[in-house]
Amino acid sequence: MKKLLFTAVAICCLNISKAQNGNFTGGFESNSQWYQNDPGLDNDGDGIGITAPQDQLRSNNYFKLNYNYGKFTAGAQYEMYQPSPLLGYFPGYADNAIATFFANFRHKKLDVTAGNFYDQFGSGLIYRSWEDHTLGVDNSIRGIRVNYQFTDYLEATGFSGNQRAAFELSEGTVQGVNTELDLGSALNLETSIRVGASYVGRYQPSTSPDPNFPATVNAYSIRSDVFMKALNFGFEYVYKEPDAFILGGTAQNGTYSDGRAFLFTAGYAVPGLGVNAVVRSLENMGFYSDREQQGNAFLQQTINFIPGYTKQSSYAVSNIYVYAPQALLSPAENKAGEIGGQLDVVYTAKKGSLLGGEKGTTFSFNYSNWSGLEASFDLANNTYEASLFSRGERYFEEYSLEVYKKINDRFSVKLTGTQTYYDGIIIEGATFRLNGTAIVGDFLYELEDGKSMRLDLQHLAADADRGNWAAATLEYAFSSSLSIYALDLYNYSETDIHYYSLGGSYTKGRSRIALNFGRQRGGLICVGGVCRFVPENTGFTLNLSTNF
Amino acid sequence: MKQLIFLTAFLSFAFAKAQTELPELILRNISGKKVNIQQLSEGTPIVFSFWATWCTPCMRELDAIKEHYSYQQKEFGFEVVAIATDDARTKQRVKTESMGRNWPYEILLDTKNVLIRSLGNPQIPLTLIVKNNKIVYRHSSFTPGAELELFEEFKKHLD
Repeated sequence: MKKLLFTAVAICCLNISKAQNGNFTGGFESNSQWYQNDPGLDNDGDGIGITAPQDQLRSNNYFKLNYNYGKFTAGAQYEMYQPSPLLGYFPGYADNAIATFFANFRHKKLDVTAGNFYDQFGSGLIYRSWEDHTLGVDNSIRGIRVNYQFTDYLEATGFSGNQRAAFELSEGTVQGVNTELDLGSALNLETSIRVGASYVGRYQPSTSPDPNFPATVNAYSIRSDVFMKALNFGFEYVYKEPDAFILGGTAQNGTYSDGRAFLFTAGYAVPGLGVNAVVRSLENMGFYSDREQQGNAFLQQTINFIPGYTKQSSYAVSNIYVYAPQALLSPAENKAGEIGGQLDVVYTAKKGSLLGGEKGTTFSFNYSNWSGLEASFDLANNTYEASLFSRGERYFEEYSLEVYKKINDRFSVKLTGTQTYYDGIIIEGATFRLNGTAIVGDFLYELEDGKSMRLDLQHLAADADRGNWAAATLEYAFSSSLSIYALDLYNYSETDIHYYSLGGSYTKGRSRIALNFGRQRGGLICVGGVCRFVPENTGFTLNLSTNF
Repeated sequence: MKQLIFLTAFLSFAFAKAQTELPELILRNISGKKVNIQQLSEGTPIVFSFWATWCTPCMRELDAIKEHYSYQQKEFGFEVVAIATDDARTKQRVKTESMGRNWPYEILLDTKNVLIRSLGNPQIPLTLIVKNNKIVYRHSSFTPGAELELFEEFKKHLD
């Protein structure tokens, strides 16, 4: 039967493509892990270490196929998590089915999608649907989305639907409208000035006898972005109507609080120098299509996007204490939100200058600082007061300076120094606050014929939690297709555990295969400023991906 | 298992009919101006390099190409458009990094990932050579020295 079906589909598609010249796009991605028992990964010192989970061999697979013919595009994504999803992923994924599908029509100024779609209004503070396999996030909305370009400088988008919740749909219905006006084009200015306004609302039937219980929660935002030759700045403000307070996954009657957010960005850039600053404050800005999912650990059913604005690093010791945004209310911790920002400076000293030397030198500096809002909770009356522009307790602060220097045609060095303050009590519900100093040296040497070798040496000195860490990575590339690596991250002052791993990858054209074996440090794994929790584990990993 | 066979068969079929064109799309550059991506490769090959400020190999690749850029550009008309896939979190860093590093490329913003999604949402770094809107070469990942292979590949697509 399957064969017959396949042949029919193949012939059908072949005929369509031959006759009408449509084309396919898509991809296949498979991430598998084979978990092992590991007595050596013994954090608590009980001599047992880590036991492999019940399904030792697990695999997350994504197969995407889109077909485009002229103004029409249609596609689907089939997902298979066998027999369970990888550790740290939402357990509700344990299944296989067509997870998302869509049909799209685009003609001149009209763009209509039926089915699953992804979009974002402004910076995402009010709404963002996106997909990230590393984080296990896919909060696409299944419904209808219409975008219309009225003129060159005015467009509007409207949508309505239900968000994806693993292989089901969310109970809440989400709808939104966004308008964007390009004033710079409208008035024919040299400066680009864009303004926008959005509305996003969620409806979910009331579960409460209280007639005032908010079944519908609406949010509104306004924003503007201005780009001059070297300067740019922008702001965004979001207001969210009162939503029920969630405690232990249950909506509380009579405790309804509104939320707001403010974002300001500024930048200055000329050849050789770039500077940007971001300031953001949030009060009670968790926004979920199912209200009872508020604060869930698997990042499911989020309507808006609240990333951490801090320096992003690829080194092992710099990814242990990473800030995670604090947008939710928590009376027990006196938390109503957060305020803070970051500053980035990138400067390249010219060749031949004092700092630049023969090949030029690039300096990258980052400073970030995040604190709680000043808030006072009246627990007896279920109310609180907070100001969006106040600063309370400090949650996180970090300075980092990176110097990249090409010594000669073959050899380059990157040195990074980072000083971090991290409030583990607030950020991950731990029992420590920590100051850490990290130093990393990264050395790259290019050999003949596309071969190269990279070595990094890393150290983190920390005054709490698991104390000091050292790490080293050695990477060797045989060619632009094939490379291997070995990494050891060693916690030498408290647990004496080596988080070692080795592996390699092969890339050819549209396909990549990577294989590795080793230990994964447990904790928050952060990708793009969004974090999920992964338990410690040891095992083999196989990643396959191909695109067409 | 049957499903797997079905998938494999379908996959190999789809491969044969793989997409070779860029979609109709307008992206903004770092000055806020609109750029029609289909017009970039009219009559001449051009390199599309997909990167992000958080992607170390991507930054290495664009730094490495810069070293040879003015020579390659003058001799062979070598041209790079660097498409930043940074989302809302790091979008504001795109201009800071590209200007601060003195990159001589046109920088476009694919903030909502519409373009890279239309290519099957591959991992970055992803490098394409596009001519008359047809993708004539595709490579992902970067290791030092791969920029030299790219220059050689580019020359093959000159008339």
